[in-house]
Amino acid sequence: MLPEIRRQSDPAPADAQSILPVWRRLSLQLAVLTAVCLVIVLIGEFLQLRFDARIERLLSLALAALPLVLWLLIAVLPEYRVARPRRRLLGVAAVSALTASAIGLPLVQDFLRVSEWLPLQSVIARALGYTLSAGIVDAGLKFVVLRYLIYPQGLRARGDAIAYAFAGAVGYGGLVCLATIWRQEPSWDIAAIYLLTNLAIQFASSMFIGLGIAESYFSDAYPLALPVNVLAAATSAGVITALVGGFMSGPLSTAGNVDRPLFAFALLAGALGATLGIVYFLFSNAERREREAYRGRWGADGI
Amino acid sequence: MPNGASARHTAAAGAQMEFETGRTPAVQITPRQRWSIALTYIMIAVVFAFGVNQRDSALNQASAYSNLEAGISAQYPARWLLEEAGPYIFRLRDMANRGFNTVIEVSAAPVGSDTSERNILDQLTLRRAQTLIDYAVLGYDVYHLADNTPAISMSYSYVSRDASPFLEGVSSIVYGLDILTIRRGQGLIISFRADADIYERELETLRWFVQNLVF
Repeated sequence: MLPEIRRQSDPAPADAQSILPVWRRLSLQLAVLTAVCLVIVLIGEFLQLRFDARIERLLSLALAALPLVLWLLIAVLPEYRVARPRRRLLGVAAVSALTASAIGLPLVQDFLRVSEWLPLQSVIARALGYTLSAGIVDAGLKFVVLRYLIYPQGLRARGDAIAYAFAGAVGYGGLVCLATIWRQEPSWDIAAIYLLTNLAIQFASSMFIGLGIAESYFSDAYPLALPVNVLAAATSAGVITALVGGFMSGPLSTAGNVDRPLFAFALLAGALGATLGIVYFLFSNAERREREAYRGRWGADGI
Repeated sequence: MPNGASARHTAAAGAQMEFETGRTPAVQITPRQRWSIALTYIMIAVVFAFGVNQRDSALNQASAYSNLEAGISAQYPARWLLEEAGPYIFRLRDMANRGFNTVIEVSAAPVGSDTSERNILDQLTLRRAQTLIDYAVLGYDVYHLADNTPAISMSYSYVSRDASPFLEGVSSIVYGLDILTIRRGQGLIISFRADADIYERELETLRWFVQNLVF
C-alpha cells in the first residue's frame, strides 16, 4: 500500500501546515533585505548622512548580521510551530559558516589570490575567472555541506532542498560578508551594497544547488543534472561578481573615481529578482511534472 | 515503482519516524543518485583545477623588456605596469594592489674611480631622508645575483601617504630593498618597495625578476 504523500500547498486539513512552505518566507526575507539596502543607499546618496566612524562601523557590522536575524525570525522560528519542522536548518547554517571561515575564505584569498589577478581583466575574463575560482569554491563547499547534512536524510519534499540551500547561503554568505566588512571598514551605505552583493551571489548559487539536489533526489534525474546545477551555481556567482564591480565604479576623474551605489543596487536587485523568478519557475515546473507523472502512474495526487 | 518514488516514500516514512525518535534514519539513495554525486565531486575538482591553472598563468605570465641604450633586458610580470618616463631606466608597478603598489625600479648611477658601493647607497639615503616620511635604513647585506656575483643590498622602511590629502587614505608602512652592483663603470640599482604586510610574499617576485635580469 502506498503511503500518503501530500503536496505542500494542497489544502488537506489534517497536516496542511505539517511542513512549512518555503517560497513566501524566502521572498519576504529578500524583499525586506533589498528594501533596507535601498533605504540606506538612498540616504547615503541624497542626504549624505554621515556618522562618527565608530558608529558607522557598528552600523555596518549590524547590517552584516541582518540576513541572519531575519532568517531566524522569518524562516527558523516558525518551523518550531509546525508538526514536521526542518530540524537541521541551524546546523546547515552553522556548518556552512564554519566551512567558509576554515576553508572557503583562506582558499579564495590566500591560495587563489583572486584580488591580485582578476580585477584588472575584461568583464568576460573576470566572469570566467570568478566562476573557476571563487564561484566553484563557494558552490562546491556549500554542496558538500548539504550532501552530508541533509542529502538524503533531511529531504521530505522539494521545498526542503530549497530551505536548506538557503540556510547554507545565510551561513556561508553571512560569514563572508562579515569578514569583508570587518576587514575593509566601508561606510554604511557601501556596506549595504556589500551585503546585497553577497546576498545576490550566495542566493543565486545556493538556489541552483538546491534545485539540483531536489531534481536529483525527487525526480531521480540523469546523473548529469546535479553537476550541471552546481556548475550553474558557480557560474551565476562568477557573473554577478564580475558585473557588480563595473556597475559600482564610476568614471575616472582628476579626483579619483566615484562609487555609484545606485547602479550597483539596480544590478543586484535585478539579479535577485531574476534568480528568484528563474528558480521558482524551474521548481514549480519540476513539481508539476512530478505530480502529473505520479497521477498518470497511480491515479492519485501523490506529491 | 520508480527509484525516485521509492526513495521519496522511504523519506516520507522516515520523516514521520523522525518526530517519534528524535533522530533521522538513514535513507538509501539510488545508484543513479550515487553517480550524480560522484560526478558532481569530479566536476568540482576539474573546474577548480582549471581555476588554479588560470591563476597560475595570470600570475606567472611574463613580458619581455629590453633597453639597448642601457644594455638591459629583463622579464617582468605581464600584469604589472611598465613605465620609462622618470629618473630611472624603467619602473614596474603592480597596480592590482590595494593601497601601496609594489614597485621594482631599475636605475643607473655614475661611478667614479674612487666611488665605492657604500657611497652610492649613502647618497640614496640622504636623498630619501629629505623626501620620504620616517625613512630609516634597516641594514646592509650581500645579495647574490643570477650569475652568483655578490651585490650589496640595503633594506629600509618609510611611511607612504597618498599624494592628495583630500583622498582621505590611510598611510602604509613600506619596506624597501635596494640591490646595487657596479659593472662597466656604472652602478645599477634595483629598488624594490612593497607594503609591509605583503613584503615577504612580494620578495619572491623580486627574486624571480633578478634571476631573469641581464645587463
